Amino acid sequence: MEELDGEPTVTLIPGVNSKKKQMCFDWGPGEMLVCETSFNKKESETKPGCPFIYIIRKDIDVYSQILRKLFNESHGIFVGLQRIEEELTGKSRKAQLVRVSKNYRSVIRACMEEMHQVAIAAKDPAIGRQFSSQVSILSAMELIWNLCEILFIEVAPAGALLLHLLDWVRLHVCEVDSLLADVLGSENPSKHDSFWKLVTILVLQGRLDEARQMLSKEADASPSSAGMCRILGDLMRTMPVLSPGNTQTLTELELKWQHWHEECERHLQDSTFASSPHLESLCKIMLGDEAALLEQKELLNNWYHFLVTRLLYSHPTVKPIDLHLYAQSSLDLFLGGESSPEPLDNILLAAFEFDIHQVIKECSIALSNWWFVAHLTDLLDHCKLLQSHNLYFGSNMREFLLLEYASGLFAHHSLWQLGVDYFDYCPELGRVSLELHIERIPLSTEQKALKVLRICEQRQMTEQVRSICKILAMNAVRNNRLGSALSWSIRAKDAAFATLVSDRFLKDYCERGSFSDLDLIDNLGPAMMLSDRLTFLGKYREFHRFYGEKRLTDAASLLLSLMTSQIAPRSFWVILLIDALPLLEEKEVVFSAEQTYELMRCLEDFASRRPVWREPGVQRIQEDVENTKLEMLRLALARNLGRAIIKEGSLEGS
Amino acid sequence: MEFGDASLLPENDAAWRLDYYQHDAQMDYYGTRLATCSSDRSVKIFDVRNGGQILIADLRGHEGPVWQVAWAHPMYGNILASCSYDRKVIIWKEENGTWEKTHEHTGHDSSVNSVCWAPHDYGLILACGSSDGAISLLTYTGEGQWEVKKINNAHTIGCNAVSWAPAVVPGSLIDQPSGQKPNYIKKFASGGCDNLIKLWKEEEDGQWKEEQKLEAHSDWVRDVAWAPSIGLPTSTIASCSQDGRVFIWTCDDTSGNTWSPKLLHKFNDVVWHVSWSITANILAVSGGDNKVTLWKESVDGQWVCISDVNKGQGSVSASVTEGQQNEQ
Repeated sequence: MEELDGEPTVTLIPGVNSKKKQMCFDWGPGEMLVCETSFNKKESETKPGCPFIYIIRKDIDVYSQILRKLFNESHGIFVGLQRIEEELTGKSRKAQLVRVSKNYRSVIRACMEEMHQVAIAAKDPAIGRQFSSQVSILSAMELIWNLCEILFIEVAPAGALLLHLLDWVRLHVCEVDSLLADVLGSENPSKHDSFWKLVTILVLQGRLDEARQMLSKEADASPSSAGMCRILGDLMRTMPVLSPGNTQTLTELELKWQHWHEECERHLQDSTFASSPHLESLCKIMLGDEAALLEQKELLNNWYHFLVTRLLYSHPTVKPIDLHLYAQSSLDLFLGGESSPEPLDNILLAAFEFDIHQVIKECSIALSNWWFVAHLTDLLDHCKLLQSHNLYFGSNMREFLLLEYASGLFAHHSLWQLGVDYFDYCPELGRVSLELHIERIPLSTEQKALKVLRICEQRQMTEQVRSICKILAMNAVRNNRLGSALSWSIRAKDAAFATLVSDRFLKDYCERGSFSDLDLIDNLGPAMMLSDRLTFLGKYREFHRFYGEKRLTDAASLLLSLMTSQIAPRSFWVILLIDALPLLEEKEVVFSAEQTYELMRCLEDFASRRPVWREPGVQRIQEDVENTKLEMLRLALARNLGRAIIKEGSLEGS
Repeated sequence: MEFGDASLLPENDAAWRLDYYQHDAQMDYYGTRLATCSSDRSVKIFDVRNGGQILIADLRGHEGPVWQVAWAHPMYGNILASCSYDRKVIIWKEENGTWEKTHEHTGHDSSVNSVCWAPHDYGLILACGSSDGAISLLTYTGEGQWEVKKINNAHTIGCNAVSWAPAVVPGSLIDQPSGQKPNYIKKFASGGCDNLIKLWKEEEDGQWKEEQKLEAHSDWVRDVAWAPSIGLPTSTIASCSQDGRVFIWTCDDTSGNTWSPKLLHKFNDVVWHVSWSITANILAVSGGDNKVTLWKESVDGQWVCISDVNKGQGSVSASVTEGQQNEQ
């Protein structure tokens, strides 16, 4: 057995602890059932210790109301991305892919926001906590995605890289703005408790303009330190940064930055800020002094903030390939051997090392739902960043993850529709997975059934269409909705079932003398050919219509052909023969002589084949009635024959 | 990849409590209904839609513990088969909202251990394996009639499990003209007390012939499960046995009929039950050491355990409130 990177997770079923019992289980479409049992058939003990059946669900996130929006909207982005694939060319390709990435991220943020509101508003603190933890998971996902976007999709080069990383950090540390508002809003900002804390954070985040503004307030408030504030402010103002659109090269920037760095160093050596510990500390930070930075651990809050600040003030032109070295050392320095890295830390480290597979793998292990890895991997695949790992199913990693995600969606009574599109974009196993899953969707309403059918028909999944129509036809028959049953059998192209339903129709007619669902039968069209019995049903109705419209000769020929073509069921022959009576009793001669001979032959044929064995009771009476009618028929036929011969004779004669 | 929390079907409704061992529990095709069978000779059916749990039927008819239940494909209506120690196989059907016995098969001389419905494409066919060593095949021919074919001495001492191969139409998949049934090659696997797994094939004359013998276990085979088809040209069967081993058998359909076994794992105890998920990418194994373990095949063809579903070992979580915990 191959070794897994982590121990398989154990799901505990609360129950009796006993060494003797086992669990029996079954797979549902999207979940598992377990219950305690004893497989040993000789077991005399019949009472189970734990009398319950448990349902274990894998993708419970599917049932979350708020996450549903995430699934719905990201589905739209996903499908859009697949569709524009062909159009993504040249320079604009990267920009468009970045835009898609930002779209995904904004969806995550929207979801986070909503969940945050719910968490605050929750009356039950336990539920509030639950939602809050969900918010932090989403926040972590967005953090990771954002970093991946910078490193893998934007592929920021040295110089721009740092600016993106600064944005990244700023986006995820939100307290700064509220603190800023707090302090500025107070009467004496520079005397505010958190004044220096604020200035420090602003410097740590590279927001030097704002830091300078704060310093000028301090300068106004305490003239003794005004001079120092101004000097530091100047240093802040003059720090060389790469601004977008700036034409200077990286080397030029580096040179300027070196000069500036040396100037800061000089001030420190000259003890310019010696009388203000705060200002001196700020200067050290701006020099990228590690010890000074580490003193601000609490304000930095995490090692990646520490990393970015460190880079800002010591290696602003850092190259992407060198990132991982600084990342690892930042993590080590920040944790200081006091704690070990958490899953999130490892994921970020893997990203800094540009090890995409590792990122995806770690995320798969850490997260409870395939959503994140499936969508991110798909996007990265569009960036042509994944080599195909051939998995057992013969598909690559992108497809594997999408299949897992989509399968999870099928457990949900309405989200399954999203899953369909994901399967569509999995070229290897998408179709067969869809076939297996779509048959399992409960067809609780006609509307749902039609939806499922449409999906199958659009994809030429004829087997599934047939199977679903058969199920619906069977349901309809059980509920005596014969018309519905018939139309489903026709849609399923199921001849056997169509025959069965037609028989029911005919049986009903025998009993009640009328047809239900006339509309349907009258408008069968070519579908009539599906089965002989169905054809008979359709044609028999046509006969009725002809008679109703007084198209008597047409009716007569049709009736005759129905009898001679052998498609009429035995049980119906009597009715057909008796139907001839009214036609024979019309004033005008409807049946020709030849037709009359045919009819007579049919009659004798029928009479000779009737079972001899008689059963007493009702059937006897019925048979007597039948016999009488057949006698009448013989008489009518004979009479008609006479009339027909005369008519035809006269015509010929004249 | 974590599994979500195990959620409890509520014990509020007294009818829900299972006072006897449920030997088998099966979800229907859509996951909306649940059938269980137990030592108290009953077969119970529950409606489990939308997290609800309603006892729909308590079917009595067996005279001994009922070992297994199996749902037929919904296109035939709501049909359930059950088999029991009383040597009988009963087929139950829901008619006008009530469940009734629609057929009883008494052709075995000993406990019937396993029932399995064939793929719906073949029609309504049920395979039954019995301790008398025989396997019987019941085919519904219409008008309430069932035709029986029996394979005597399929396994010496007894047959413990039967499992059908997925329906695969040989040759091209052009739409058949309506009314004509495509020529399916019907196959199923059985496991028995002779430590063997046998593959059976229906010949053109309608008789069943033993096509293959798969030997690898050193003790009674307890369960076999033929994996659903995912469109690849290989067939896969999982088997588990009294000897604690679970094997995965694969056959490359294009090259012929050789089946090669791969040992999934050797457990410390009897393994009772194996089952494939719907898309055949996860195998669940139950038995030894009181766990249900889930296995997936990894990149290089090795089978990896991805999750353990374990019973609580004394650690009681807050969600278990009442429910008598009968101490053993």
